[in-house]
Amino acid sequence: MRTKQQLAVKWMLTVVMLILGIACIYPFLFMVSSSFKPSGDVLSTPLQLIPKNFTLRNFDTLFNNQYYDFFRWYWNTIVMTGLTLLLKLLVITITAYGFAKIKFPGRDAIFLVLLAALMIPSDIMIMPRYIIFKQLHILNTMWSLILPAAVDVYFVFLLRQAFVAVPEALSEAARIDGCGHVTIYRRIIFPLCMPQISTMLLFSFVWSWNDYMGPYLYISDINKQMISVGIKLFASGQAQDYGAQMAGTTLVLVPVIFAFFLCQKYFVEGITSGAVKG
Amino acid sequence: MARTAVKAKHKMTRTERMEAATGYLFITPYLIAFVIFTGIPFLSAFALSFTNVKFISKLEGLQFVGLRNFIRFFSSAEALNALWRSCIYSLIYVPVIMVLSFVLAYLLNKGVFWAKGIRSMVFLPYISNMVAVAVVFQLLLGPRGPFYLLQKFFGAEEPVIPLLNQTWALPTVVLIAVWKGMGLNFLTYLGALQGVDVSLVEAASIDGANKWQQIKNVVIPAVAPTTFFLTISSIITSLQNFTVIQSLTDGGPGQATTVMSVNIVNTAFVKYETSYASAQALVMFAIVMVITLIQWRGQKKWADQ
Repeated sequence: MRTKQQLAVKWMLTVVMLILGIACIYPFLFMVSSSFKPSGDVLSTPLQLIPKNFTLRNFDTLFNNQYYDFFRWYWNTIVMTGLTLLLKLLVITITAYGFAKIKFPGRDAIFLVLLAALMIPSDIMIMPRYIIFKQLHILNTMWSLILPAAVDVYFVFLLRQAFVAVPEALSEAARIDGCGHVTIYRRIIFPLCMPQISTMLLFSFVWSWNDYMGPYLYISDINKQMISVGIKLFASGQAQDYGAQMAGTTLVLVPVIFAFFLCQKYFVEGITSGAVKG
Repeated sequence: MARTAVKAKHKMTRTERMEAATGYLFITPYLIAFVIFTGIPFLSAFALSFTNVKFISKLEGLQFVGLRNFIRFFSSAEALNALWRSCIYSLIYVPVIMVLSFVLAYLLNKGVFWAKGIRSMVFLPYISNMVAVAVVFQLLLGPRGPFYLLQKFFGAEEPVIPLLNQTWALPTVVLIAVWKGMGLNFLTYLGALQGVDVSLVEAASIDGANKWQQIKNVVIPAVAPTTFFLTISSIITSLQNFTVIQSLTDGGPGQATTVMSVNIVNTAFVKYETSYASAQALVMFAIVMVITLIQWRGQKKWADQ
């Protein structure tokens, strides 16, 4: 009797949560299905998730129109995101290793200064950064997006914690065998902390891919623009072509959603461990 | 004997020195980048606020002007209105996102079928591209869109187009921001709730506490540190809302959604008043600091009880 009642409650909760969950993803369902509909059908059949008049013309409009080089923006964003990840993979892990496993005077003080920087809202730095980018001649290049992203204090902190948790005995044993720090970093710490490093790469991918403010402020050349700014330009330029708009937004979201479903575990663990910023 | 001891000691310091050198080598590339892209910008933001820089790139003729930019801020109706809208934004955003994400996490944690699938659904908006999502919402909430038709269906004579409406634009933008940001708070709460000792809840239930009492007296106190952390991070997120607003409404209609972050960018990059914009950003920074400090002290009291 009791278990039957419990089961009923569980089903009821499931239904409620499922409705809320579907409400959360309805905009995405609408978007994807609309991208395969003729523009005229988009608003007249918002609940029809399987298009009746299936078409690929929207994607054709997206890539073959004389005003916007959507593919170029897409490609720029792929290159920018890729370089950001590479740089972070190298620099952040090495830095975290330095703070976690090597003793040197002033280490804790420097680390504290970095931690304090976590509280600085990025809005306050947008004007000075503009001036600095200009001085370094990286304004209007993707380096103005890549280099600041590489200074990600959150992940230096997160990875330092992970590296510290690796038992000292392991690196001690490697030392006795004559290994230097570079070898310990490459052969022991890096492979052992792959989960945390993957978490960093995933979130960095999402943030770089989705960044809007950076390209909006620092990139003025339309051919060097990123997809976030591009999709807004495209949508306001093709104001009446709803189908093409939805095809564009779908393509913007696909890589991130794909990454999410492939690596859900790292996303969820990254957050539930309390290590990821808002 | 004494000589070897001295030698050993000397050798120790040399390896230590080597160790230290390696340490600096490991962190130097990062530190250089940090100083250039965070350290200097942060400090120059203060310097800029007290000068008269215009046209961002022209630093010649730079002059110290004292508090003039701040006085201008506090006597400008436009800036104060933006500040006020930011307050309204945060005052809606923070409570709504906190309550919603807690309730969703609590319900999911009670045990449902397909928990993982539902969890992903709630989380998905968090990682999506705000600008792309904004294009979708402009359609969904736009003229002839589903929301328009829904209002018609329920007999509204003049259906509202929320993002183009003076009164409704701001609350609508906030709710979309909540939808977008909720995944993070939701997952964090879920992690915290999974750490709550089940025996405590059971004990309360045996003592005759009803569901609401169990939640209020056992569960909510148990996740208080998480609530504290999420409240602060949500307040900060709520002030860094440039992308949300710029992509949905561009600060409009009129000035209806021109909050601080939008006003700062417009002042700097449209009106080219770099120093004045910097002063505004500094005011916002001060607000964030004060909130953090108040919360921090509150947290201490809270934890002591």
